[in-house]
Amino acid sequence: MSETAAKTFGTISEEAYRDLEEAVGPENASREPGVLDGYAWQPTNNDHPTERWVKRPVAVVLPGSTAEVQAVVRACNRHGLKFKAFSTGWGVWCGPTYDNVVQVDLRRMNRILEIDEKNMYAVVEPYAIAAQIQAEVMKKGLNLHIHGSGPNCSPLASATSGWGVGHDSIYMSYSPRNVLGAEWVLPDGEVLRLGAPGSGLGWFSGDGPGPSLRGVMRGSAGALSGLGIFTKCALKLYNWPGPPRIETEGCLLDARSEIPENMGFYLCAFPDRASFLEAVLKMGEAEIGYNALRTATAAYLNVMTPRLFKRLTDTKAIRDLMGKTLEYTIMMVLAANSREELDYQAGSLLSIVEDAGGIALDMSTQKPFVRMALMGFVRATIPALVFRIGGSFNTALDRNDALDTQENWRDACLAIKEEWISKGGILDDMGDNPYYVPYENNMWAHCEVVYQFDHRKPEHRAALEPIFLDFTIAALEQCMEPMFSSDPRVRAIIGPLAGGFNRWQREVSKALDPGEAADSTLYCGEGAFDLSAVDGAKVKRLNELIEKLKPEA
Amino acid sequence: MIAPELKQKLSAIVGAEDVTEDEGVLSSWRSGGAVAGGEPAALVRPSSTAEVRALLKLAREEKLNLVFSSSAPPRLRGDSVPAGEGIMVDMSKMDRIVRLDRRNKVALIEPGVTFERLIPEADAAGLKVLMPLRPKRGKSVLASALEREPIIIPKYHWDMTDPMLCTELVFGSGDLFRTGSAAGPGSLEQQWAAGGAQKNPMGPAQTDFVRVVQGAQGTMAAVTWCTLKLEVKPTIHRIWFVPDRKLSRLSEFTYRSLRPKLADEWLILNSYALAALISEKGGEEVDALAQRQAPWTAVYGVSGYEYLPQERVAYQERDLARHAQAAGVVPSPEVAGCSWKGMERILSSPSPEPYYKTAPRGDFLDLFFLSTLDRVPAFLEIMEAEAERFSYPAQRIGAYIQPIQQGRNVHVEFTLYFRPADREMAQALFLSASRALSEAGAFFSRPYGPWAELAYARCPDTVAALRKVKAILDPDHVLNRGKLCFEAREVV
Ligand SMILES: Cc1cc2nc3c(=O)[nH]c(=O)nc-3n(C[C@H](O)[C@H](O)[C@H](O)COP(=O)(O)OP(=O)(O)OC[C@H]3O[C@@H](n4cnc5c(N)ncnc54)[C@H](O)[C@@H]3O)c2cc1C
Repeated sequence: MSETAAKTFGTISEEAYRDLEEAVGPENASREPGVLDGYAWQPTNNDHPTERWVKRPVAVVLPGSTAEVQAVVRACNRHGLKFKAFSTGWGVWCGPTYDNVVQVDLRRMNRILEIDEKNMYAVVEPYAIAAQIQAEVMKKGLNLHIHGSGPNCSPLASATSGWGVGHDSIYMSYSPRNVLGAEWVLPDGEVLRLGAPGSGLGWFSGDGPGPSLRGVMRGSAGALSGLGIFTKCALKLYNWPGPPRIETEGCLLDARSEIPENMGFYLCAFPDRASFLEAVLKMGEAEIGYNALRTATAAYLNVMTPRLFKRLTDTKAIRDLMGKTLEYTIMMVLAANSREELDYQAGSLLSIVEDAGGIALDMSTQKPFVRMALMGFVRATIPALVFRIGGSFNTALDRNDALDTQENWRDACLAIKEEWISKGGILDDMGDNPYYVPYENNMWAHCEVVYQFDHRKPEHRAALEPIFLDFTIAALEQCMEPMFSSDPRVRAIIGPLAGGFNRWQREVSKALDPGEAADSTLYCGEGAFDLSAVDGAKVKRLNELIEKLKPEA
Repeated sequence: MIAPELKQKLSAIVGAEDVTEDEGVLSSWRSGGAVAGGEPAALVRPSSTAEVRALLKLAREEKLNLVFSSSAPPRLRGDSVPAGEGIMVDMSKMDRIVRLDRRNKVALIEPGVTFERLIPEADAAGLKVLMPLRPKRGKSVLASALEREPIIIPKYHWDMTDPMLCTELVFGSGDLFRTGSAAGPGSLEQQWAAGGAQKNPMGPAQTDFVRVVQGAQGTMAAVTWCTLKLEVKPTIHRIWFVPDRKLSRLSEFTYRSLRPKLADEWLILNSYALAALISEKGGEEVDALAQRQAPWTAVYGVSGYEYLPQERVAYQERDLARHAQAAGVVPSPEVAGCSWKGMERILSSPSPEPYYKTAPRGDFLDLFFLSTLDRVPAFLEIMEAEAERFSYPAQRIGAYIQPIQQGRNVHVEFTLYFRPADREMAQALFLSASRALSEAGAFFSRPYGPWAELAYARCPDTVAALRKVKAILDPDHVLNRGKLCFEAREVV
């Protein structure tokens, strides 16, 4: 273990630890260094410039019920400790940021409590993972939104506390928009149930009476455990026109699934930006699509065959083919309840693509590909392969809005990435690596641009903070409050330019957490970028933008 | 009446011509719905956000009770009837359609924009306004969305905020705040120049204050504009009626059809509610028309858009016919007294004047709440039993069931129609039925007037949390004092 990691050790008093043991039972608490280190190792999206460790928690507890979560939170309040929730733990966001944090690992709370087939929702606990819920609800002809980090993640964590974009968002929206009620252990240990469940009336509506506290629970990003711990939530379910069980042999890239008859798979490519945008807008208006995902063609090779990809990128003709000829592509997966509906969806898709001067490849004729990729779409199994090429990655999240803004974001990120690829600061993924989806029939859209790195390389580690600053400047250029504004450095810059949201979040935190028991750095902490090694012209531009975008007094 | 010094201060903000104590103007805010006893002391008409902020500042200094209102009378819910004395802030002067963006299907509107103003403008741009059922003339589009009035096309109701997207707010504290992607950085003009269209309703960052302001009956913030999602105008649009004796069959048909997002408009009416909706003459005609209807009628619309419209309509109608057959019901292009074309007109326009619910008997009361479709029969029984207790004829209860959130729950609305002279009896029935329905599990998610007490008594934890939020956004309680759960009344 590195020296820095060793410095982050905090300790817990005997009395406090005894209280935690009492809260969850001795067998469900630990302060073994080896166990704690397991929680402090957080490779995902960890842009710490020197290594992958986050602060080590002082203890970890595994509550099995809401009452136990309350007892833990109360113990934290009593002993001046902080808590940090961990559902499936896929990312640096669930790691502690203080030296006195109790990690609340919710893996024992893994039940699907209710599936209301008629009214299309399921009530779940934090560690009910997407794959588990999907397998159950598909038996009833239903499905749930799975965000892009995949089936092993907690839908509750994203819906209540994280983000929640996925390539089914065109049909199944964004995780927080799917919440119909939640059970919330507040930072003082009290329980709050949002909406109808708060009145003991069932889990069908999460808003009211009167103002909706879902608006305090979270915004476009969640509070990342900074406002308490969610122990149950009701999630909307959606129609699934496929079979009750998708017969599949093998897994990931070796998977071979039976393809349901009423699905269609089209890779649509367009000659230029304008035709691409026009076509995607029309697809939204035609109200078609079950999955819609724009990634670079190169990204498929990047995640599926990383070694081959590294070799191919040296070949100019292949670079041109993937980077330029196939620059504007979108994968559309259709699913329909009847043959006639599928014909309508496919027919309008093909007409739209044709009118825009594009081409649509019917991938369902490419059986080996679709049989392998089906679960990648329907169960979001593929994105996790993004780790393969360099061992780590990060992503430039923007502000979701009209489709055009997302395209502008892609362009800006491409330029930033090209600069850093040429300087050797990140891996060469050919630059263009967006995860780009329309929401709700393209009511608005999302684009994040992934960049991959090898954290063993000092030059990659050194580049992480300056790249992040570049993306922050790009967001300002485009009047965006990016979804990564949960980062204290970004919050400090953008908050005052966007209604002072940083101030309002501090107020909310103060009101709900008088004992300051939540680890709330990612909710209201503020920090500063290290500008010492940043190009002077960039710092100047940052300051100009801050000045230009200052709200009128 | 207000003190002359106060009048002067208000005039200094909005101009003397926009401050009035004229009883003729104020009287509409004395009562509304089941709420009475309002004492509007004066009315001001701001014409800009700056003026609204100045009013809030003054309100904090002078401990005023500001009650914001955007629509024309009659007052149907009583939310803008002050609890005791209040200064009315009439937002109807701020009535610009600031932007109508066809490409992004969005409008930016001020509070004074009514449905009758917005509909033709949207239509000319090839867009459709997402409507509640037959709003009153003069109804503010912004206020309708702000109060979470249900829209009649469930497939476009993805979440409770719809169709409202971004907002500009002046909190009770006087602070200005924009929600969603409108938050900035940058002014609206700077955002437009960057391609932004204020489409994303969430945020900024880690709060969704728009959700806190919606359903708040003006107790958290004043809204000075909002963006509203619009949808494309169909190239083909048809309406179908499904009359049936049994609600259970229509429920089955509804569940089957909404799950795969079939159909556009979708609502269920009982015979009296349907008759009241379609009657042109009102009065006795409604009773006669009601007798010619099936006990229940589902109404749905099917649309084709720009691409393959015929094919879209054809597959939807075929799939819907299959579901109808499975549920044992039969769609028809007309019902007694109304063709599908007639219903199309009704569903796409505001009510004629006087408001259509006053037509049968001269006065009415709406009793509405949220639940799920499968629980509606139990509420119906309670409503009928309550009506019987008060000798109100069961056949004259209007029932309107509006699936929302893509069919996951329903807005249930019972309407009592009565002569103005019978208000006392109707009000007693209304209160008694509200209590009985609440006990049986009706969720008063928009707790107007007497429902606030019923609703908040059930959820003390919610009350405690709401009060904390109120203390942040409106620390001096200058906004619509006495409403919801914020003042005085102890919650049991
Ligand atoms: C390969 C990869 C791809 C990704 N793709 C996407 C994507 O497409 N879309 C997307 O939205 N995100 C994506 N992410 C990021 C993703 O959102 C997070 O990794 C994911 O949500 C982590 O969630 P989790 O379910 O594992 O929850 P956790 O990591 O356990 O929690 C996430 C956050 O919420 C807090 N939290 C967890 N549970 C609770 C609770 N019960 N109460 C209160 N707070 C809680 C945690 O402290 C943490 O801050 C991706 C990540 C990876 C690694």
